[in-house]
Order: sequence, then C-alpha cells, then structure tokens
Amino acid sequence: MNQRSAQLIPSFQRPASRVLIRRALNYQRDLGAIILESLGQFQMRVRGKTVLLKPNLVGFDPLGIMNTHPAVIAATRESFLRLGASAVFIGDGPAMDRDTEAILQSVKLREFTGPLASIFRDLNLDDVVRVPLATRATQLKELFLPKTVLGVDFLVSLAKLKTHHWAGVTLSLKNMFGVVPGACYGWPKNVLHWAGIDNSILDINALVRPDFAIIDGIVGMEGNGPIQGTPKAAGVLIFGDDPVAVDATACRLMGLKPEKVTHLARAGTLLGNLEVTKIHELGERVETVRTPFSVLEEFHQLREKN
Amino acid sequence: MRGGQHSFLKEFCIPFLLGAQNSDGGWGFYAQSESRVESTCWALRALENACIPVSMECLHGAREYLLKEQLADGSWPAAPHERTGGWVTSLVCSLWSQQKERENSVRAGLQWLCEDFPRDSRLWRRLLRRVVLSPGVFEQDESLLGWGWTPGTSSWVEPTSFALMALHDCPSGWLPPGSSRRCELAKRLLYDRMCPQGAWNCGNPKVYGVEGEPLVLPTAWALLALRNQPAHEKKSKSLVWLRNTFGSIQGSASMAIAGITLEAFACAYRDFVFRLKKCPMSGISFAQR
Repeated sequence: MNQRSAQLIPSFQRPASRVLIRRALNYQRDLGAIILESLGQFQMRVRGKTVLLKPNLVGFDPLGIMNTHPAVIAATRESFLRLGASAVFIGDGPAMDRDTEAILQSVKLREFTGPLASIFRDLNLDDVVRVPLATRATQLKELFLPKTVLGVDFLVSLAKLKTHHWAGVTLSLKNMFGVVPGACYGWPKNVLHWAGIDNSILDINALVRPDFAIIDGIVGMEGNGPIQGTPKAAGVLIFGDDPVAVDATACRLMGLKPEKVTHLARAGTLLGNLEVTKIHELGERVETVRTPFSVLEEFHQLREKN
Repeated sequence: MRGGQHSFLKEFCIPFLLGAQNSDGGWGFYAQSESRVESTCWALRALENACIPVSMECLHGAREYLLKEQLADGSWPAAPHERTGGWVTSLVCSLWSQQKERENSVRAGLQWLCEDFPRDSRLWRRLLRRVVLSPGVFEQDESLLGWGWTPGTSSWVEPTSFALMALHDCPSGWLPPGSSRRCELAKRLLYDRMCPQGAWNCGNPKVYGVEGEPLVLPTAWALLALRNQPAHEKKSKSLVWLRNTFGSIQGSASMAIAGITLEAFACAYRDFVFRLKKCPMSGISFAQR
C-alpha cells in the first residue's frame, strides 16, 4: 500500500484543519478556474504523482441530480493535471446498478472529459487485494479493495452534497463506500449494511484515507437521498485536506449538526477534526452561504434548531 | 442467428475472448486482469456455445480453473483467494448443469446454495425491523426468502435470479432436499420485489413511500429466471417494460443481456449488433488496459 496508510491521530493531538468554501452558482460557470485556484490554496504536493478522483456516481441519472456533476469532475481532473500530476484517473464502483457504462453515459461524463477508456476505472470490476482493516469499528476484519485505489499516490473524494436515508448525510466519507468492489460484495454492497453503515464508513476511511475532499454543492439533494431526494441548490464547492472537517462544514452549511451524525461524530475522534474551533474556514463563511436542507423525520435530531 | 450477429461474434467477440484468456485458464473482467469466477463463467458459456469451433485446450483450461477455485464447502468465491463462497456459485452450477462429468461439483454447489439463508427473513430480524423502522420504510413481504450476494445478508433480485436459474437448469436428481420450497419462495420474492410500474431494480421496489425505478439488468435476469414459469401478469408487464426500454439502453452489458432476454421470450428487437458495435463507451468494457 502507498503512503496514504498514515497514522490515526487522536483529536486532541491534531492541528486545525483548513476548509475552503467557494461560491459557484451553476455548472456553466468557469469551474476550472475556481477549482484550480482553490486547490492552489492548499499547496498540495501532487507534482509527478498519480491521482484518483472518486466521484459519487450512485446510479442512472439522466437528469443530473444524484451524482457528482460531470463538469465538476472534468474541471477537477484538469486542475490536478495543471498542478503537475502525472496522471489523473476517475474511478467509482456504483452501488445500485452494475452497468457502470450506462451510468457514465447517462451523466454524459465523456462529453466533459473526452474519451474515458484510458482514464476511467470501474472500481466494481478492478483487480482486488485483501486488506486487513486498520480499525475495528465493524467486525469485518478485512476487505477486498481495488488495486487502483491502493496503488495511486493521491486519493480525492469528490462527493455530492446530499442527505441520506440511512446515514443522515452522504458526503466525502460516505462517498468512499464506492471503493468497495461490487464484484466481490454485490449491488448493493449489502455486507456493509449488515456490518453497520456508520461503522463501515469509519473502517473504510481509516483504511483508504482520502488525501483531499471536494464536495459538489452547486446543486445537492435533500430529503430522501441519496437517490430519491429532491434537488437543492446550495451554490457552493467545498474543499479541504481533512475529509472529516469538510463534511462537518458541509453539515453546518446544510443546517445540520455534524456531531449528531453518527459516523461523523465517531470520525471526529481519530480521522479528522469535527469541532468548529479546530476548522479554519477559508473563502466564504458558513453563515453567509448556509442553505438549510430538509431531512427525513427519522433524522430530525440532526437539524440545528433542535 | 442473424447474419450480422454471426460475423460480429466471429470477427470480434470470440477472437477478443480467446486473446484475453489468462494462463491459469480463467478470464478477468478486462484483458490482462486477474482471473475471476464470474467473468470466467460468462466467457466459458459464450465459447462453449460459439458459432465457430474453439480449441479444446482453451475450454479445458477454463474448466480446470473453475474446478480449482471451488471451495471445500462446495461454493465458489467472487474474489481470488477469498475463503467464503458467494453468488457466483449459482453461475458455475448453471454453466455445468448439463455436464454429467461435473455432477459432484455441481451437487456440492447446489447443496451450499440451499443451505445459505439470507438473514433478513429470519423471524427475529423481521420483528426487530418492525420495532426499529417506521411503518412504510419498506413495503415488501419480509417473510419471503431468496438469495443474497454474500452469505448471511439480504435477498436481492439478481442473486435470487441466478440461483433460481441454476436450480431450474440442473437435473432434478442433482437437487438437494428442500430446493423446491426455496424455489417457490424465491419466485414469490421476485414478484414481491417488482417495481410498482413493472420490472425490477436491485430489490427495493418502494422505500419511504417512493417508487423505485426499474433497471435493465435486474429486470433481464429476473425475466430469464421466470421464463419457464406459468404466465403471470407481472411478468408480461415487465417484458413490455424491457421491450420499450431496449431502444434507449446505453451500456453494452445491459444491451447484450436485454437482447438475450428478449430473444428468449421470442420478442422482436432491432439493430442489436449495430448498436452494440456503436456503443460509444465500449472502450471501458472491451479495452485492453
């Protein structure tokens, strides 16, 4: 495994994280300039490195409401190349439909990125390696993971700003469910549900450790997400090198309490910073871009007014 | 077979498969990727039924690979070096259902399948769900039992369809006791998990009161699993959905399986090979990485 298998650091020993919120009102704007300039603020060492962008491609989506928008994926890929990455791959393992090709066609990704054959990796069908889990949040003990994910130098979770009917929210941490290969675990990856969604999120993220997180919140999804919710425009992109801090900030932007989201609260102990005092906000302030998202009644306790 | 199909198979598909076979006899999901039971089953099924002669060495190597991969409990694993069997067991049993010399392997596989019970239909689980989940979260009959992707999880449409096909394809003398009841429950499960508009998705027809959208692959597999069953209004409705959807299918895998399904039901469909060849994303499915 590569250098990403970094140590887990208890929250009290961890320095503050930086999260950048940028306004982007629609997908027609010059996202490339916004994303390149935003990434530049983090002084990432990606020159000469291989990068994998892991978007949220959850299903067949001709209306473009449930998946990370292809314009964001393409602009991010272009930005990492301009920052000197030697190769930037895009990879996902959709959870509900095994025809990844049809999903990619439905979101018209190729129209934004050009030919995909050499740059896209279907993580459901990738060669796999059995990896012992670094943590024991679940009783799984090990997972088969795609060689592509384990082999790249730099992993980016490129999520969508959505609520989720089981996990409360699906942001950069939950997005990493997509690295678990369907060819081993099925469609959906039901073994993770039985192991506990929240705990599976923790074990997966403790193992693959995304180096950077970007959330497409230009148009998100509220209510019965991740598939059947309602589109919700928030007009933002969120960036950060601590996925927990990025997700916590995204929650606050959605009018939700991150410490009430089970997997985020637990992630805050070992995987990143959850507390607002340990997140240094760059760009827009959360207060200025706050866009309350509705949640299912089962998650009413997440709302900030409670 | 239509003329266009024959030449497409002869000039493209079969040479591609022959060139992509690994030295261990199996196939990966891509040329030059590691052999897997699933992809080997599909490739071997295609080559055993090929319209041109295929070398015995190639077929023998693939069969040896599958034999080698069978686990001591009779199942087959979905990943290399995996110690637990899974849904691909159904694929191998179905593939070898008419091969007398594989009887022992298949019997062991079928035995494993019929002893693998999804956990979601257990009584205490159903009671727990009633307590924990609000009414209307799922609107489906939780007492029905099919098969999951991996042991001890929930029933889903595709693995249930694969298991049903395996049990239907094999001679009755090979079937373990209790298999007929499992088949009956599984068929009822498939009809229960159908989307309200007809056809299937992975197996959640309605969640939080919202109707699920059908998908091509689960629909095609479920229809193939039910093809020899008595006529049923829901089956007809699903076939109509697949036929109406066929013209807009965008992925080559979905298109191929949908074409096979429509052919099995003697439904007319057009431009299959032409569209398969033109599939703009075929770089992902067929490219050598």
